[in-house]
Amino acid sequence: MVQSIQIFDPIKTKKTAKRNRAIFVSLCIFPSLLFLVMFMYYPIVETFRLSFMKSSGLGQDRFIGLDNYRKLFVSEEFRAGLVHVLTWAFWSIVIQLPLAFFIAFSLTFYVNRVSKPMRAIYYMANIMPSAITAMLGKFVFSPNNGILNNLGNQFGWDWLSNMDFLGSERLAFWSVFAVATWAYTGFPIIYLMARIEQMPKEFKEAAELDGVTGWKYAWYILLPNLVYPLRILAVLCTIGSLKLFDLPYMMTTGGPGHATVTLGISLYRQGFINWQYGRASAIGVIIFLLSLIFTIIQFSGKKEAA
Amino acid sequence: MRTGFKLHRAHYGWIEVFITIILVLFALTVIVPMCLPLLFVFKTQLEYSYDPWSLPKHITVKNFLEAWDAIKIGEGLANTLLVSLGVVVLAVPCAALAGYVFARYHSKVTEVLFYAILVCYFIPIQMVLIPLYKFNIKLGLSNTLLGLILPMAAFNIPFWVLIYRSFFHTLPKDLGDAACIDGAGHATTFFRIMLPLASPATTLALLLIFIAAWSDYFLSLIMLNDQKLFTMQLRVSQFLNAYGVDRMPRYAAAAIISMSPTVILYIIGHKWVIKGTLAGALKE
Repeated sequence: MVQSIQIFDPIKTKKTAKRNRAIFVSLCIFPSLLFLVMFMYYPIVETFRLSFMKSSGLGQDRFIGLDNYRKLFVSEEFRAGLVHVLTWAFWSIVIQLPLAFFIAFSLTFYVNRVSKPMRAIYYMANIMPSAITAMLGKFVFSPNNGILNNLGNQFGWDWLSNMDFLGSERLAFWSVFAVATWAYTGFPIIYLMARIEQMPKEFKEAAELDGVTGWKYAWYILLPNLVYPLRILAVLCTIGSLKLFDLPYMMTTGGPGHATVTLGISLYRQGFINWQYGRASAIGVIIFLLSLIFTIIQFSGKKEAA
Repeated sequence: MRTGFKLHRAHYGWIEVFITIILVLFALTVIVPMCLPLLFVFKTQLEYSYDPWSLPKHITVKNFLEAWDAIKIGEGLANTLLVSLGVVVLAVPCAALAGYVFARYHSKVTEVLFYAILVCYFIPIQMVLIPLYKFNIKLGLSNTLLGLILPMAAFNIPFWVLIYRSFFHTLPKDLGDAACIDGAGHATTFFRIMLPLASPATTLALLLIFIAAWSDYFLSLIMLNDQKLFTMQLRVSQFLNAYGVDRMPRYAAAAIISMSPTVILYIIGHKWVIKGTLAGALKE
């Protein structure tokens, strides 16, 4: 009798229920949190710390204040990297986004048997691992044997067969850029297509009833409604450029000279070739701060729009 | 005069044809570089240098064998597969559990923790690279596949926590309550009822995390030094450095070999790949 009362004691059951719930919640969150504390939070703090240190993996780290940053801004390599990623960001926005908008609009506006399977084709280059994209890039742009030089030979076009796409300071940057455009435009296309398809159907029907033609529809109706998605894409382009490493590193290793150095390549060279952990960390911090600034710009823009 | 609601597409006329042609041309620029190696791969070097653009006269598979040996792609595939599976096995359960709790157990603490996890999604990998490398040395994980798998799993978690959270939000709340009344505990409710219902999200997570791990280059480059442990992407880039394009048929064979797993996977799963990518992108 007494026992049964204890079992159904409402206060106690509530307490155990609460405790069970808390245990379950913490058990569920714990693994993710552990991962991120170990491999994100700890390294973030450590990168900040290291960026003020002279650290080479050998011997004691030594505090040197802002010296790493100062050294970076006078180093030609780093400055080249900074200029390159910003130029890269600018041109990828200017080229990729209009191209993606044109394709996304056309694919959603002119739906026919040919255009239907194209979404998957356009996105295909995007899914390729960067090593393979670089491989195909070299396949097309390599000197002498590359496809373009080879075509020049075939037709006797000397201007084409003599172009050193990856070896000349003037062209290397743009060759890598072309490969990146080939590889990365797929995402803005499918993203804009999805945004366009999310719009109410009445938009298009009303436009058709009013006799608004394709171009006017794209310009006056679609574009104003896509300002925010386009802004997100621009920010993604910029952040992607700041992080850029794989393609230029594999295609040209940053050369010739500093012609295709990016911040990522500069970081890699400082950290894992010169073993200057402190200076490499400083580059990491700069990349982080720049992407933070661009992300904040995006979010502040959102408030304005709303 | 047009009569109201009958909308037919005939009036686009030649503009539609013109634009479709442009679209096809763009699509060709995507496809052609991927297909072009097929033209060269069956030729001998001599045949290639004599007449690169003709169709191959007799088919030789020697280039494939040579490229296979040069990249040692068998070993690379095994390593890549191990890494990708390891990352998936670690990241997906963590993300599912955390996402579920963030969707269903609201409190101030969980809210704060959710944002603490989400913030990591915006951290560029360059920001954490150097300490991770040093950390791995300290743990004795440097130059092991595990030392690559753990941080890579961590990088994939925040995004999928977000996706799982919003997916569990869409499931009706009564389901969990009903299970609770029937006497199921928290864990039982999750594993028996919620997790099976979340299988669409899980499929996407499995596929896209696998692809991300499969494609990685930068992190593997830094974490692995031992030739034997090199993943496929590292071997491809090694091949690029060592051989370059000086023997085109072999190069074409290497490109085809290293491209084909991704292409096959994409042909089978492109619908899910695109869906999953958009699921994330449209969340913002």
